[in-house]
Amino acid sequence: MTISLSARNVAKRYGAVTALSDANLDIRSGEVLALIGANGSGKSTLSKIINGVVVLDGGQLLVDDRPVHFQSPHAAKSLGISTVFQELSLVPQMTVAENIFLTREPLRGGLVDRGAVRQKTEQLLALFAGMFKTDLTPDTPVGPLPPDEKQIIEILKAVSFNPRLLILDEATASLDSRQVQRLFELVVRWKEEGKAIVFVSHRMEEIFQIADRYTVLRNGATVGEGPMQGVTTRDLVGMMVAGVTAENVVHRARPTAEELAARKVTLDVKDLRAEAVHGVSFQLHEGELLGLGGLRGQGQHQLLLALFGDIRHSGNITIDVTPVHFTHPRQAMENRLALVPGERAKEGLLLIRSILENFLIPSWRRYGFPLRIGKARQEATNVSMSLNLKMAGLDAPVSSLSGGNAQKVVIGKWLLRNPRILMLDDPTKGIDVGAKAEFYKLLAQLCGEGKSVLLYSSDDEELIGLSDRVLVMHDGSIRTELIGESLTKSNLVAASLGATQEALP
Amino acid sequence: MIRHSWRRLTNQNRIPFALVLLAVVLLVNFMLQPNLLEPATMNSSMRIFLPLILVAVGQTIVILAGGIDISAGAIVSITNAILATQIGTRGDTGTAMLMMLAVLFVGMAAGAVNGFFVAILRLQPIITTYATSFLFGGLALLILPSPGGGMPSTFTSFYRETRPLGIPLAFFIIALIMLAWYGIRQTRYGRYLFAVGGNADAAYQTGVPVNMVQFSTYMISGLMAAFGGIAITLLTGSGNAQIGDSLTLAAITAVVIGGTALSGGSGTIAGAIIGAIILSLLPNLISFANIETWWQTFLNAAIIVIALALPGFMNLLRRRRT
Repeated sequence: MTISLSARNVAKRYGAVTALSDANLDIRSGEVLALIGANGSGKSTLSKIINGVVVLDGGQLLVDDRPVHFQSPHAAKSLGISTVFQELSLVPQMTVAENIFLTREPLRGGLVDRGAVRQKTEQLLALFAGMFKTDLTPDTPVGPLPPDEKQIIEILKAVSFNPRLLILDEATASLDSRQVQRLFELVVRWKEEGKAIVFVSHRMEEIFQIADRYTVLRNGATVGEGPMQGVTTRDLVGMMVAGVTAENVVHRARPTAEELAARKVTLDVKDLRAEAVHGVSFQLHEGELLGLGGLRGQGQHQLLLALFGDIRHSGNITIDVTPVHFTHPRQAMENRLALVPGERAKEGLLLIRSILENFLIPSWRRYGFPLRIGKARQEATNVSMSLNLKMAGLDAPVSSLSGGNAQKVVIGKWLLRNPRILMLDDPTKGIDVGAKAEFYKLLAQLCGEGKSVLLYSSDDEELIGLSDRVLVMHDGSIRTELIGESLTKSNLVAASLGATQEALP
Repeated sequence: MIRHSWRRLTNQNRIPFALVLLAVVLLVNFMLQPNLLEPATMNSSMRIFLPLILVAVGQTIVILAGGIDISAGAIVSITNAILATQIGTRGDTGTAMLMMLAVLFVGMAAGAVNGFFVAILRLQPIITTYATSFLFGGLALLILPSPGGGMPSTFTSFYRETRPLGIPLAFFIIALIMLAWYGIRQTRYGRYLFAVGGNADAAYQTGVPVNMVQFSTYMISGLMAAFGGIAITLLTGSGNAQIGDSLTLAAITAVVIGGTALSGGSGTIAGAIIGAIILSLLPNLISFANIETWWQTFLNAAIIVIALALPGFMNLLRRRRT
């Protein structure tokens, strides 16, 4: 089962936008190649050219030293190339088993052999045994599953082809640390079996843990490649962001518990209960950056939604001194709360509409009747400049932006409303290092202005680096509060896995 | 527990809703017309319902795969016009059989035209098939400018009176369709239908031949419309180039009442058949209720609107409660 694949001088244009100009990549059986680059550098496009979803405009693909020309994903699959897609390729109405074996259903007498499908699916699910929070069976519909389980099914679907080359495009972005470790154990096993694996990720620690070699893309061209041995994060980031050194975490003076207690409480939550949230109490202070940590899917998402009035909840919530109970996000907005959702494309943006419109959606009311478009445009321009938004113009569609810039639009639209309490739901998921650094600076600046920030992040480094205090959630309640000396990575990981306050050093 | 099953009934599993509706409509109809379930009445009802059932089945396939076919009724009209002019009341059996076979190909060809525009040129299904409906309707009028023509009485009486084992012919056809559908669901093609309707991009990335699946659904819809055209010609024994017009929207309504999502990816043939029967029983029910003529259309429409809105209201109540 050996394979070698080379991309030579690959180019791809979408209209006036050049996605790839000179991309090169080599991979062989038995190795894990990290494909690295900032958002918009062309990683996804290159992956899609290798797996046949996108047809290249120039350059050449060689499989086993023979030139190939993929016109469809099917052509790539027949050569043993399989992909875990970043935007999942699952059909929500179909079951786990139906999704995994779509187009390759085992047949008996021309009909789909359901027994065999189920059995094979169970074998695959066993690879991630114990990693599912729901009772997952082959006959479960995929639609309502949490994102991490969908991601695992997407991985199993790609693996079920028994591919020679497997592309993992941001496959770990929605997985928690346990699930990532299991995936890596499997990757090592597949590598030994002779599979070649292309690993696309933004998480440096994961790249260093699993990859044998790296290829760095910048602005659509390969700017560096080599063995992982001997390179440092600084080297790689240096290649990704030419001329800019990595200053990806903002170091702020952390207030002590006493200092925090002396500040004004802007948000006081007592015994909040909602779907997947079982009695949460905490206080958020003026100018505080409060982190929410824990494994994925422990109620953090629902906690933020409940605070924003998006889902039904009970409990006492006080903003400043006024008790509130929001039953609609509009009420939360009137009280100057803002929620930046995690799934940008789905919850935060109207992709085909212009950047201007996306900025102004929550704020149109301010511009009267008839709308004072000039003033609105001016304010949107100011925000986009303060965010350092890289765009063709305010009238370009949001879909033309890279992930990091699109996320800036989501935040910018709330900043236009001048919120006092900013809640963020895993905002840096899938954003490159350069954009993250800017984003961290922005958060620090907002806190400096006296705004309170409630940040949920699945990136532990980020929580530790940014937060004044971290509340670790487990199974819908706050298990541990980490502050000052106790705010360390090892404590955060231990608490995430369910260790209580007393058990921590 | 009760609440759980209630929820399933109203939400996850929407055929039972159509079944409940069918039971209600049948019950009311039965009270107004006690001979409703007698074999002779049933036979005469079912042969009237059959054309709509056939068109609704074809429509379900298209909608399942994420499309819609507004031209199905016009295809019925074309086949009716061809049969009525080419066979005629004095036509011999051989010609009649040949013509019936020929219109099946005409139906598929019309479907292929739709499929070409929608699947290959990637035009909006609703607009495209609305446009082609005029194309097909216009052709029907060219073939048969004014109502006339017909079928030999041997054929119409065969359609009217055949009752194998005392059971109306329509039930055998429905059974055949259900059997074929069950078979199709066990094939890869069956899976592809649901995958394409559920998430076409995902299906494409997985290697499903999305274009071919979409193309084929329009051909199936054309074929089923042609069958519907044959049935309606046998039923009326005459030709009318606008006979199919009312079937298009009725079939789409039947599909929706039957619990198939207009967005594609989920639904059943059985639901569409039940929906078509419900829709067909309504005028029956209203006429037997001795309602003044000018109320009939309004009442018929009101019942359809309520039937369509009911699941939505139930969902709203459910959302309020939890």
